[in-house]
Amino acid sequence: MNIRSHRNFIVFALLPALLIYALFVFVPVIWSAYYGFFNWSGIGEAKFIGVKNYVEILQDPVFWRSLKNNFIFVLAAVFGQVPIALVLAVLLHKSNMIQRFLRSAIFLPMVLSTVVIGMIWQYIYHPQIGILNFLLESLGLESWKLQWLSDNKIAIYSLLPPLIWSFVGLYLIIFISALQNIPGEVHDAAKIDGASGLRKLVSISIPMIWGTIQVAIILCISGSLKSFDLVYIMTKGGPAHATELLATYMYNSTFTSYRYGFGSAISTTIVVISLLLIGTSQWLTSRRGKK
Amino acid sequence: MSSTMLSIRKIRSSIFWAILIGYGIVTIYPFFWLIISAFKTNEDFYSRPFGLPMNWQWENFTRAWESAKLGTAFMNSLIVSLGSLAVTLFIAALASFVLARFQFRMKGMIMAFFVVGMLIPIHSTLVPLFILMKQIKLLNTYWALILPYTAFALPTAIFVLSAYLMSIPKDIEEASFIDGTGVWGLFLKVILPMSLPALSTVTILSFLHSWNDFSFALVFISKTSLKTLPLGIANFADGYQTDYGLTLAGMTISVIPTVIMYLIFQEQVMKGMTAGAVKG
Repeated sequence: MNIRSHRNFIVFALLPALLIYALFVFVPVIWSAYYGFFNWSGIGEAKFIGVKNYVEILQDPVFWRSLKNNFIFVLAAVFGQVPIALVLAVLLHKSNMIQRFLRSAIFLPMVLSTVVIGMIWQYIYHPQIGILNFLLESLGLESWKLQWLSDNKIAIYSLLPPLIWSFVGLYLIIFISALQNIPGEVHDAAKIDGASGLRKLVSISIPMIWGTIQVAIILCISGSLKSFDLVYIMTKGGPAHATELLATYMYNSTFTSYRYGFGSAISTTIVVISLLLIGTSQWLTSRRGKK
Repeated sequence: MSSTMLSIRKIRSSIFWAILIGYGIVTIYPFFWLIISAFKTNEDFYSRPFGLPMNWQWENFTRAWESAKLGTAFMNSLIVSLGSLAVTLFIAALASFVLARFQFRMKGMIMAFFVVGMLIPIHSTLVPLFILMKQIKLLNTYWALILPYTAFALPTAIFVLSAYLMSIPKDIEEASFIDGTGVWGLFLKVILPMSLPALSTVTILSFLHSWNDFSFALVFISKTSLKTLPLGIANFADGYQTDYGLTLAGMTISVIPTVIMYLIFQEQVMKGMTAGAVKG
């Protein structure tokens, strides 16, 4: 449509969305980079201290622990959720009754609040009343019973099943709709050439939906970096920082220790790390896709 | 030869199905366990964790509703979810209409600006938003949640809506301009009704997102009378940790609306989840 006659309308229509979005998403990101240079307890004067907060973060073992835990989450998502969802999508992309039912069942956790998911799994893992230890006992595997969430060697790994459980459904649905977009002739041609199921998956389906897989990997990375709620509900980052993530580290520094400047610096670090990770994964997957 | 091959195939496919159904049961079991345990007494909960309740304790639900003030939390969740939904739908539809149907200079940049928002980790904005809310005196008000929920729903909403609006043929607006309808008339009377499928997708996604949010509510709301359902449930667990039936009943109550919505609008929910990702 013609620009001159509708100039006012265009400006007016875009303004509210741009304002709210800029003010509550973009400006805060810039601000936290700025606050990161201050020593501030939330009340009173903020004192400019240069890059001290950032230096302190890099020297803090808790930061490195959190970063490592975040990486464990990202790896579990990329190498757990994506392959499981891909295999399930290949098996479930047609629409008979059982397939539709299974799809809905696998997707269901996506509509639950993370608070509820965290609490359900807390009960599952509970050392005395939890059904996991109860199950192990009734199978005669008493020695396998563990303090799933309070043993600092295994707590972080105990968080992975709920993480995978709650998000596989999302990727399943994404992959199914990508698979359904592959034209039927491609499969017919493969059948005539005598390609088997596995062969078809590796040399036709996966390359044809590679773009979607790439998107899924990006979602996995940004999704795993967002998994504050689950950890906050289940372990609060403990025991002894064993399950600390960057986001819980930031939350605890800011709202438990009242170090707003330091917390802001961690926030900025989180943005930088996630953009770096997403950039790297884009670069890696697009190179592989071209091969 | 063909009969043995056929039976091998049959065995293989039944193993496949057994694994699949096994996986389905494993995924749905925690949810099933939550609901049946919500009806149990503590003794029942301890002694038969896998069994059905001995006596169905319906009063767990009424006790949970009353003692944890879930009614207030329910209302608060409803107000902030519907509030941000209304704002999101209107301003996202307006912006998408312009971005999808008009040609102007900054268009590509503005679109990119919104899309980048999908990659920003929500939690990295918590501290600065908290400071901002404190300064403009919005902490402990409904707006402290409505505005950020709207802001974070906008990228996806604009993405889904503008992709849909671009697929509507061009003649539509020409016809309505000849009829003498202005841009507003075109937007309100033609474009909005036509984009109902995309609008309902956006509705479901943003509602789920704000109904289930925990972190913004945790940081921006400390007044008991304003707490949303996820906060109520989380606090509730701290206070009544040893009354399992009660806690689980509270959790069940909080998931009922989204599960019902999911069961009714299943196809739409799934379409909405994929709309952005596949085209992106």
